[in-house]
Amino acid sequence: MNSADLNPAGINLVACVKWAELRPEIDPLHGSVEASQRSSGFSSSDFAAVESALRLAQAWSDQGQVCVVTVLCAGPEDAEDSLRDFFAVGATRVVRVDLAEQRSSAQVAELLASALVPSQLNAQFVICGDVSSDRGSGSVPAYLAHHLGMQQALGLIGLESTDPGSLHATRRLDGGRRERLLLTAAAVISVEGSVATLRRSSLAATLAAKQKTVELRKQQIDWPTEVNRLRPWRPRARVLAPPAGDDALSRILELTGAQSGSTAARTLRLDPEQAAEAVLEQLAAWGYLDDSPPA
Amino acid sequence: MSTDSYPEISFETRMSSVEFRVHERAHITVDSKICADCSTRGCITACPANLFVSTADGGILFNYELCFECGTCYMVCNEEGAISWSYPEGGHGVVFHSS
Amino acid sequence: MTDFDVIVVGAGPAGAAAALEAARAGRSVCLLERGPYPGSKNMYGGVVYGRVLDSLIPNWWEEAPIQRWVTRRSTMLMTGDQAVTVDYRCSSWGEAPYNGATAFRPEFDAWLASKAEAAGAVLICSTTATGLLRDGTRVVGVRTDRPDGDLTAQVVICCDGVNSFLAKEAGLYPPSDPANYTLGVKETILLPREVIDERFAVRGDHGVDIEILGCTGEVPGGGFLYTNAESLAVGLVLSLPKLAACGRRPEEILAELKAHSAIAPLIEGGQVKEYSAHVIPEAGYKMMPELIGDGILVAGDAAAMCLAAGIWLEGVNFAIGSGAAAGQAAARAVQRRDTSSAGLQDYRRRLDSNFVMSDHRKLREAPHLVMSDLAQQQLPRIACGVMEQLFTVTNPDPKPGLRKIIRGQMKLNNLKLRDAISQGMKALRTFG
Repeated sequence: MNSADLNPAGINLVACVKWAELRPEIDPLHGSVEASQRSSGFSSSDFAAVESALRLAQAWSDQGQVCVVTVLCAGPEDAEDSLRDFFAVGATRVVRVDLAEQRSSAQVAELLASALVPSQLNAQFVICGDVSSDRGSGSVPAYLAHHLGMQQALGLIGLESTDPGSLHATRRLDGGRRERLLLTAAAVISVEGSVATLRRSSLAATLAAKQKTVELRKQQIDWPTEVNRLRPWRPRARVLAPPAGDDALSRILELTGAQSGSTAARTLRLDPEQAAEAVLEQLAAWGYLDDSPPA
Repeated sequence: MSTDSYPEISFETRMSSVEFRVHERAHITVDSKICADCSTRGCITACPANLFVSTADGGILFNYELCFECGTCYMVCNEEGAISWSYPEGGHGVVFHSS
Repeated sequence: MTDFDVIVVGAGPAGAAAALEAARAGRSVCLLERGPYPGSKNMYGGVVYGRVLDSLIPNWWEEAPIQRWVTRRSTMLMTGDQAVTVDYRCSSWGEAPYNGATAFRPEFDAWLASKAEAAGAVLICSTTATGLLRDGTRVVGVRTDRPDGDLTAQVVICCDGVNSFLAKEAGLYPPSDPANYTLGVKETILLPREVIDERFAVRGDHGVDIEILGCTGEVPGGGFLYTNAESLAVGLVLSLPKLAACGRRPEEILAELKAHSAIAPLIEGGQVKEYSAHVIPEAGYKMMPELIGDGILVAGDAAAMCLAAGIWLEGVNFAIGSGAAAGQAAARAVQRRDTSSAGLQDYRRRLDSNFVMSDHRKLREAPHLVMSDLAQQQLPRIACGVMEQLFTVTNPDPKPGLRKIIRGQMKLNNLKLRDAISQGMKALRTFG
């Protein structure tokens, strides 16, 4: 499909969703997380993103704009059945970028962005869920905005359409305050799950969606081989004998050292080598250097 | 509630092992006024999810969220019309994984 | 013109088998499931007997998602601190074509429904059928809880489980009596595979099924314990009205079973992975509804096709058998353009000619017998008492002799010889 098909005069809204383990089963015997198709799905904030896109499209269509809602997912083949359900609620297109394994947020964003560039989906608004439910950091939308050179408004708790192509967004600030933003194209926004509940699809649309095809994109990105991060060696925590004392208070006092005199801070001005020596010496004095650093 | 020789898990732990996709609409409602006249109260004993609780004013407090949708309560109910029972909205309610 | 030839409500074993057979016969089929996936609302007390699948899915055992093949079947009679076990092992049950298997219903039911889908049935999940569409007395479709959710068909097959509101709405059920139902509760308990292999003395994909009598106190019922690949399932079946009246909660009675000296060492150290509960149509043949109406058939648990007959505890196979028969009969009726009650009578004929009805008819007294005081209270006590006296060495007193022991135990448990004989004859007639 080329960009001429992509509603150049109208507004393209893209909702990004993540196929995630909703109720991870952690095997208590092996400690491994077991993923299964049955316990995977989309989070409520992703559903809110899709519903927000549909509502905006509806509002702007009523004002005479041609709006196209696309649902975009970077995920495995397992997600296809659930992705097809987005046709039933009113998505015009559903696109899956093939991604079989877990990737970092930056890499997922890179993959999504490759499908979102003007020659592909030509999105004016990209709407994401705020954080994915599988320990997400909420950084994918920010990376996306960076890749696409768009404005960003993340973690929204309210979304209202105004004139076609612009919308009011509400964001939570500290101390119970709210920030109101007026957004125009092109922007990446992310919404909390409370913003909207995905509508229930009609039976006829659900049946029709069974016949629809999820577009598949295979993007080849040569990611560098991942190397486990090397960190300076940190000494292990020391094992201390349990505090003695008859009552809880005296044990806490002993444990915290609250009533014993604290060591006064010292300021040393040394060369780097000498400083390192002094640090090691002090650590040894405190008993931290009993075990040698790992090879 | 259990014998001393075998450590038993708490009811909360037991129920937390089950997935419930709770819908905002209650699929079962209990008319506490009718329950006030009930002397048997089999639901309190029999409901496997322990969702029925006696209230101080003689009624029954019922929560629908952690319901197995088994049907025990309306079957053992003695009072006509006390429990209105239906299934939760499609896709919601209890979801078993390894049963 | 209807939306589909056949609508099947409920994608459990009965519904999946019905949809599979109707779709194979070339009919358009919609299979409705209220859970997010087939099997998500389902639990059972243990074993799938697959012989009924042979004709539906050749070599089903090569692909069915099972946990372990049952090669060891035990029946345990229990009192508070005693247990007598009859233990049968059969290694040929662990080879094709196999006998029974333990499985997770969410996996097994989803697999069976996928077979129906592959045959052309349209599976719609997360959709609850809330009522029937009717034209006079004739059922012409179902109403679902989706917007614009009416769906029409020439035949509706109700496989909507033990509560079957659709069969009740169609007037096929007499007013329900709670005495016909039991509550099943179950814990799935995680244990390493090696520990299970060791404790139950099985290897590889072989497993154990233990049925227990006398573990439910004053509430008539029974217990079960069986092995999955890396977990055990331990549970109870409890008579509903007696449970409601007894003042003890199901998980308390289950905790007692788990603490019993014959069970505790088997499950020790395990972690509860999932708790589940479900109602069982216990009374079988005697509680069956009308199976056929104008444009409607009832199969599986919805038709009370669950065999709770003491030594035989089966349900999934009856669900599949009745569902397949319903699917075939519905397809034939649609083809002949007569889906009235008369046109659907083929369903009854098919059930009568195979195991589904003959087993239920033959064993129609069995549920009552199993739930009787004799089987629930006296039998476990007498069996355990006899064993204890038989094997307790009382030197220097001489051994009392078997006849004296049995007579003594019967007297102790208020069982008259006359009653024992008449009940024994009844049992022979029922099971014979």
